[in-house]
Amino acid sequence: MTERHSTVKPYQTALPAGFENLRYGVVVRPPHYRWNGEHFTCDRLAHVDTSALKTLPYDAKAVVEGNFVGVVASSIENARDAAKRLVLSWQPHDPLSATPTQQARVNEESRQTQAHKTTGIADVEGGQAERYERDYGWPSRMRWGETEGWVVAESRNDRLEVWTQTSTPQALRQDLSTLTALDADHIALYTSEEAERHVASGLGRHCGDDAAVDAALMARALGHPVAVWLDAQYNVDVKALGQAQRLSLSAVFGEGDHIERYRYRQAHASGEVAAVGLFLSGRTLVPGVLTDTEKPLYSPYTFQNAHLSAHTGRPSGQPLNDTLLGIQQTFARESFLDEVAHARDQDPLALRLHYLDDARGRELIESVAKRADWRVNTPSRIASSDVLQGRGLAYAQLPDRQQRLESGGRSAWIADVEVNRITGSVQLTRLVVGQDSGVEVDTARLQHTLQARVLGEARPLLGSEPAFDEWGNGSLEAKKELPLAKRQSSLERQVVTPNEASSVLPVPLEDTEFSPGVAVIANALFDATGIRFRQPPFTANRIRQALQEQDLEASQGRDSLFLPRKSKAPRRQWLAAAAFMTVAGSAAMAWPWKGAIAPVSRPAANLYSAETIERGRLVAAAGDCAACHTASGGAVNTGGHAFETPFGTLYSTNITPDEATGIGNWSYAAFERAMRHGIGRDGRHLYPAFPYTAFAKTSESDLQALYAYLMTQPAVSAPAPQNNLSFPFNVRALMAPWNALYHDPKPFQPDPAQSELYNRGAYLAEGLGHCSACHSPRNAMGAEKDGKYYFAGAIVDGWEAPALNTLSKSPVGWSESSLYDYLRHGESALHGVASGPMAPVVAGLSELPEYDVRAIAHYVAQQMEAPSGDTEAQQVDAQQRLAVAAVSPSGMEEGERLFEGACAACHLDNGLPSFTRARTSLALNTNLYSDRPDNVIQSILGGVHADTVPGVGNMPGFADSFSDTQVATLATYLRARFAPDAPPWQQLEQRVAAIRQPHHNNTHSSL
Amino acid sequence: MTLKLKVNGQNVELAIPPTTPLLNALRNDLALNGPKYGCGLGECGACSVLVDGMAARACVLTVASVVGREVTTLDGLADKGRLDPVQQAFIDAQAAQCGYCLNGMIISIRSLLNHTSTPSSEQIGAALEHHLCRCGTHLEILDAAHRAVALNAMALGGVDD
Repeated sequence: MTERHSTVKPYQTALPAGFENLRYGVVVRPPHYRWNGEHFTCDRLAHVDTSALKTLPYDAKAVVEGNFVGVVASSIENARDAAKRLVLSWQPHDPLSATPTQQARVNEESRQTQAHKTTGIADVEGGQAERYERDYGWPSRMRWGETEGWVVAESRNDRLEVWTQTSTPQALRQDLSTLTALDADHIALYTSEEAERHVASGLGRHCGDDAAVDAALMARALGHPVAVWLDAQYNVDVKALGQAQRLSLSAVFGEGDHIERYRYRQAHASGEVAAVGLFLSGRTLVPGVLTDTEKPLYSPYTFQNAHLSAHTGRPSGQPLNDTLLGIQQTFARESFLDEVAHARDQDPLALRLHYLDDARGRELIESVAKRADWRVNTPSRIASSDVLQGRGLAYAQLPDRQQRLESGGRSAWIADVEVNRITGSVQLTRLVVGQDSGVEVDTARLQHTLQARVLGEARPLLGSEPAFDEWGNGSLEAKKELPLAKRQSSLERQVVTPNEASSVLPVPLEDTEFSPGVAVIANALFDATGIRFRQPPFTANRIRQALQEQDLEASQGRDSLFLPRKSKAPRRQWLAAAAFMTVAGSAAMAWPWKGAIAPVSRPAANLYSAETIERGRLVAAAGDCAACHTASGGAVNTGGHAFETPFGTLYSTNITPDEATGIGNWSYAAFERAMRHGIGRDGRHLYPAFPYTAFAKTSESDLQALYAYLMTQPAVSAPAPQNNLSFPFNVRALMAPWNALYHDPKPFQPDPAQSELYNRGAYLAEGLGHCSACHSPRNAMGAEKDGKYYFAGAIVDGWEAPALNTLSKSPVGWSESSLYDYLRHGESALHGVASGPMAPVVAGLSELPEYDVRAIAHYVAQQMEAPSGDTEAQQVDAQQRLAVAAVSPSGMEEGERLFEGACAACHLDNGLPSFTRARTSLALNTNLYSDRPDNVIQSILGGVHADTVPGVGNMPGFADSFSDTQVATLATYLRARFAPDAPPWQQLEQRVAAIRQPHHNNTHSSL
Repeated sequence: MTLKLKVNGQNVELAIPPTTPLLNALRNDLALNGPKYGCGLGECGACSVLVDGMAARACVLTVASVVGREVTTLDGLADKGRLDPVQQAFIDAQAAQCGYCLNGMIISIRSLLNHTSTPSSEQIGAALEHHLCRCGTHLEILDAAHRAVALNAMALGGVDD
């Protein structure tokens, strides 16, 4: 029987109102628990001490049933806090204690796994025969859920009501019935409209079901309605439950290049592993009766000697999920045939047609292939970006309700995907679907449904038309071509809001219609990457990891990223031309992979502990978010600060949790991707003025804390100004190859050879502190240079960020302690104050603990090869410079007059006390010793605004009172007087004129 | 956000942006008009005040930078109606013509005398060097400064008695 969304009633709001005595629950899972394919094993709860709960200032109760432990309190924060105070003692699970039968099964399983590993894909089996053998898997939980949200259960008067997200209501109802011993009629399931759109996807269970059982279990135990927060934390269950299905296929080719024997074996036909709460509470430990019967399966292909079997280990009486079964079968079979075709260097399409006797099926596949322009041996495209392109084919044919194959439905899919090598994200760029249902096809309905399930679920970024072509009714009428060219103009303009997306109504699909959906992507992914993914889901994470492993292997003896990495998989020229516009232009997102990360509701402020938020505040201070994300005079973090770059003007964006203009609807996953990979929630590439190249090094826990902090700040509505970049830099998609060349998303790795202080400093300086973003020069493409150029100094925003390595021009050498003074207090006795864009950096650092600032100073000092403290030689050097500078050079009367009039009151020490005298002599100022006059000119024109550094006065800007000539004359004088051993600067007046532009109103230059 | 300052011995709270120039806060928010707005660039000295007894140019200081410090303006130099010796000296010497710069001159000499009660002529010159007088009473101002040294010494002597 097929699961239908109609078994679930929708509700409107995230958390249904009107619960009396609603409590919030959290669960504490055992340290170890897992599903091995047939059995659930877990650590045993030996002892639990709940006495600590009685001493808490709030009411908290523990729910303990078997190995299930939950804590319920009046707020989620209290529940989490209370859960930490439970004293639990777990007795580790001992695999030796398993019963002999169970042990035998485990052995059998591991033997098979082992055999599979050693066999490889092609074994020569006597003579000409070749044997192919492959295992495919299907996970117990496809993912933790659809979106973060509350799951609520209320148990009252022999009736259970559950508000949750589920894609398998049938199985959930079964679990809840097992839990409560209630009849299914007495269990009501509700789901939000948002979640309801996912119900029809038929991919199998996710942890919304586990959370529902958790909530129901606690609600029943306490007699209160209980809310559980479903989020990525439930990934622990996903991992623990592992694989639900193992699908083993083999084929033997005999002489004449023909499959002589074909075998399909499915280990467990039900595929729906019960909720973790049921196992833990001891309600479902062993399936009642293992019905080891063989269920006849279907294959659309005709092989000489075919053996198809499914061994079910489900309890008798539990209904089969036929939709899931169909998708699983199709996935394994179509992946296997694709693998075999590639291994034998055959066209996957021709191989299928060879074994397909069904005339209507053949006609359908051929038509779809023609429509999709399927070609054998297309030439390789020039691989010059980090976007890999691939194409896959899958076909399904399933019997009708009377189990007749010939009158059942047929469905053929060809999908084109693009895989971002850096992020692992997959975009479905084109999908051609052919459908023959045996009866008249309602094309409007099919189109609607595909849109809802393939595109609607992933929220297409752009465009009003779904990016697929579609036929129906066997007549194969061609419809719209994917309008690639047309979309170019809509770049970055239309983002479908959740409301628009949810207006696409989900309509139930026939089983056949969707079953090639998983296989077609797996095959296209293989074509694109050369990597075979044998178990869904194909998350960006998994793909990225696989690609990184592949890179690692490929990197032996090869240093270019762009050499072709495989010879088998054909690449298609015709796509290359459209590649960029397709990435940013149509950007239809693949199901079940999300290029755009679905928007979420802003997480509730009380979700995060005060400690987490405080940690996040420090992370934000270290990362100096506010410095760039706050415009002069604007509210903190609302963006709009302009960056003048060689490529045009960029504006920072609003990072307050406003849902419309800020990051309020960013999930953590989206936030993390932006920080590590420079890709916005909607899938757009961000420009590296946002230093994700450095932020990528931030640790996971710091990023989470930062997310918590930002999400709990006041939301302010502030749309970002339009960037003004010149072509081609305004094409965000070009950031894809840029990232491949210049971005290494690898998190920070401490150097074991270095001290803890050094590694802490390196983590902060290279990561959050993004020191090199300003202090390392960039190449023509705007990427930081490394190696000997690391920390070699650069011009940023019209200011020179001085060298922080051995190239430092500082008149008196730096020491670790002077660096610390400078970073901690904004001022160092032998070097002066932090000004320009460095002033807000120091302001940010002032929030950090002393140890962290010391660590940064230590790390930078190492780059400079600087001593730990100021040496006597440095003191002597400083005194000599001061003595020389005490005398005004002769022959520079004009400059001297300007200096005396404008500067001397603060910059000349007459031996008398003055609160507004600059404490550090210009003779020790690094800027006057630089090869470039930029910072001196900047300071004269715009002043020095060290508002944020305590105890330091401001220098006024002289843009309005000095002409270019006067500034140049003054700068010449300053150089001659205070840096007498450095050569005079040349062409100062032109430089002043160039730098003056932003200062015409005598405004701040630093912020 | 309010800023807590101590001005002329009084604790005051100001609800203004911390980056407001001290001079503006004194004149506009606290109605202390002793310090004058001259160049606004720290060049002329007309805006001078004492911060912790040291001369400071109020136009280049932010309010935030004097939080926790003692600010004294010309208005607060007199002690219970008795003029500061420096003020008395400038009156005695009739050092004013337009008088716009005199705030700064008086504050700077006060700052000097806080540092040393027996300054040399060079030190007096150095203290007044970067205070601009446009109407030409330089000689009278120097006379006043020297008289201030003497009156100050007398006042100190009086305290000692």
